[in-house]
Amino acid sequence: MAVLQMQRISICALKKDRKQILELLQRRGAVELTDLPLQDQVFGKSDTQEQKSLFEKAASTASQAVDVLNEYVPEKTSMLAMFEGRRAISGKEYDALCGKRDEIYETASHLVSLSKKIAENRAELVKLQTQLDQLAPWAGLDVSMRFTGTRTTAAFIGSFAEPLTLEELYRRVAELAPEVQAVNIDLISQSSEQTCIMAVVPRGDAPALEEALRSMGFMRPPSPSKLPPSEQIGILSQQVKEAEVAVQSAQAEIISQAKARESLLFLSDYYTMRAERYQAIGCLSQSRSTFLLAGYIPKPDAAALEAALTSRFDLAVELEDPGEDEDVPCALRNNGFAEPVEGVLESYGLPLRSEIDPTPIMACFYYFLFGLMFSDFGYGALLCIGTGLVLLKFKNMEPGLHKMIKMFFFCGISTAAWGIVFSSYFGDVVNVVSRTFLGHEVSIPPLWFLPLNDPMKLLVFSMAVGVVHLFTGLGIQLYLHLKHGDYKSALCKVVFWYMLVGGLIVFGLSTDMLVSVLQLPFAVPAAIGSVFGWIAAVGAVGIVLTNGDGSNPAVRFAQGLYELYNVTGYLSDILSYSRLLALGLATGVVGSVINQMGSMGGKTIPGVILFVLVFLVGHVLNFGIELLGAYVHCNRLQFVEFFGKFYEGGSRPFSPFAAHTKYFKFKEEN
Amino acid sequence: MMANMGIAFAILGAALAACLAGAGSAIGVGIAGQAAAGVTTEDPAKFSKVLILQLLPGTQGIYGLLIAFLCLSNVGVIGTPVEISLAKGVMYFFACLPMAIAGLMSAIYQGKASVSCISMVAKRPDQFGKAMIFPAMVETYAILALLISLLAISGVGAINI
Repeated sequence: MAVLQMQRISICALKKDRKQILELLQRRGAVELTDLPLQDQVFGKSDTQEQKSLFEKAASTASQAVDVLNEYVPEKTSMLAMFEGRRAISGKEYDALCGKRDEIYETASHLVSLSKKIAENRAELVKLQTQLDQLAPWAGLDVSMRFTGTRTTAAFIGSFAEPLTLEELYRRVAELAPEVQAVNIDLISQSSEQTCIMAVVPRGDAPALEEALRSMGFMRPPSPSKLPPSEQIGILSQQVKEAEVAVQSAQAEIISQAKARESLLFLSDYYTMRAERYQAIGCLSQSRSTFLLAGYIPKPDAAALEAALTSRFDLAVELEDPGEDEDVPCALRNNGFAEPVEGVLESYGLPLRSEIDPTPIMACFYYFLFGLMFSDFGYGALLCIGTGLVLLKFKNMEPGLHKMIKMFFFCGISTAAWGIVFSSYFGDVVNVVSRTFLGHEVSIPPLWFLPLNDPMKLLVFSMAVGVVHLFTGLGIQLYLHLKHGDYKSALCKVVFWYMLVGGLIVFGLSTDMLVSVLQLPFAVPAAIGSVFGWIAAVGAVGIVLTNGDGSNPAVRFAQGLYELYNVTGYLSDILSYSRLLALGLATGVVGSVINQMGSMGGKTIPGVILFVLVFLVGHVLNFGIELLGAYVHCNRLQFVEFFGKFYEGGSRPFSPFAAHTKYFKFKEEN
Repeated sequence: MMANMGIAFAILGAALAACLAGAGSAIGVGIAGQAAAGVTTEDPAKFSKVLILQLLPGTQGIYGLLIAFLCLSNVGVIGTPVEISLAKGVMYFFACLPMAIAGLMSAIYQGKASVSCISMVAKRPDQFGKAMIFPAMVETYAILALLISLLAISGVGAINI
């Protein structure tokens, strides 16, 4: 399977069928449109930007209305809702809702305006409340705050920024303005921060009193009301009530529209689709009564689409293979076993046209390495059951999520299998429970060996796995060179490296030092070792002599030497696989620590309760962290070590003209 | 007196492995958490992605715990007590050092790499797969240190001094 072969498709059709043809293409979602630059006396392009943005605006109004509904009438969603995917909508439902679209749009605008009204009234409420707060100290005043006096008297209304008693006020006025004979001061309100007063004097004494008051820190109110404060307060309170009622009625109205949610979601999708269609129209070249459309289509889908189009419309379809230097988009198609790891490949980059799709090979290694790092039967079984249930229950999941869940399902199987191989069941829960609560220790023997008793053995195994992984990557590079007929590169870049690295490994295994360090049970006979030593030497000489590309022989030789230096890269690549051991052991040992902590209560009832609690909390934490670790490091081994040997990636992903809706799926009916 | 110092050295090693690696992880996860909180304020939908990136520097603490536990159970503080000579205790101490020191430093720098990758995900959420790899590169050295500490501790157990 692997990379889908793309074909160029060109369609020439009548303009009267344009809408139906585009609708059909959109529902099938099999063609990526290319912008046709063709413009002459006959063919021109139409500018659809305006309509498109109109539809986009309508779609966003509908989404805003849904947001408003969600704010006031929250929809109850379960934790698992994310797996549910978009609901498929039948043609009948589609037509029914489509007919009501203007009505729904009105509802949407109304909801948005209601929410705007609520926001405005809330802002108004804040403003009114501030005014009320400012007026509150003046409530006792029964004239306007702008009152300045009568014909014969002058009035001063204002405040001091300190608490003052009436006596104190009279005393200070008498001290500061002894010439003022008759003054009447009314205390309107007093608090710890301010004292509000009204002072009345005969007109003649006004300047003297004003001077005295000012030196005492007298301030006139910043925004005096025209009406007496008590009346003004009444008016403001009335306005507050009105604003509150307006907010409540708008809220009630929004809540009454809760049923419109589905149709609003539909409307958002509907206009999104129409906007996409208008963007597509912008890609076409059109004459007075015909139009031309061009794009890419995966070869397996081409025949079916051609048949569907020609049976319904009068048009011409032309399919051809794309040229060598065209920027062809890339799409993958794999079987159920390999497909789940496509997501991992996509996050690195899709294969270039000169490369193959490494997904199937990568999938085998991915599951294998993931399981080796997570390696616990209990965790693997949990992962398997969890993802399996989700897969069974939610058939309608979005493809990306579905792939990921399925990937973890396979990883779970591998994890459980490795758990049996290394006898890890939630760490050593079988041993701990039997020892603590049953009195005699039971242990399940490992299928192979216990890693903690013999870490060296697992380290050697991890590196051996690494060598296989790396050599497979190198093998793919060999295949690619041979496929392109580039025999020189196949020899210089791959075969010599096989000879050098492979030769060095076998030679190393024949030396006493390496055999004793790695605690190997066997040693390669010295004779065979020296033969492989020579093979490695030939490889090294080959690399030095052939990998330079300068014209000067000395420069070429230097470049070759530099290339040979990459052998350290192979060393670090192989050592990098020691993470398989480290992460594998970490899962088991941390699990054992948790079990041991839990069993500290001994064989008592509180002890059992403690064990259950520690077991649950501890293993959930360990499961999460180790799962993350295994996932990240599995990706790293693929991206850095494996892909480093043969893969570049970076192709443009295939993005067909389709209904990119958020809430519903519009099925092709037939 | 000196004969009993062996076990003290071994426990010092175990404590250092747990303390330093744990402290490094705490710093790393802490600074990454600050960045993650900032991104989540702007876009709560990115929570799960930035959470994963935040957690990446947390593994060193677990490796430290693992080494400390192995060391403690080898010298009999956990489980059946065994006789530990001074030389052997000092060996355990040194065996713990790689994890302690490399764990401390790598967790801090992994945290810094995570912070940058969190801001990368904030701008380009589609590049999450690549963003995860950069902090994981730093972790390689913690894993290598873990490996050496692990092999050393299990090797010291087999030496008869």
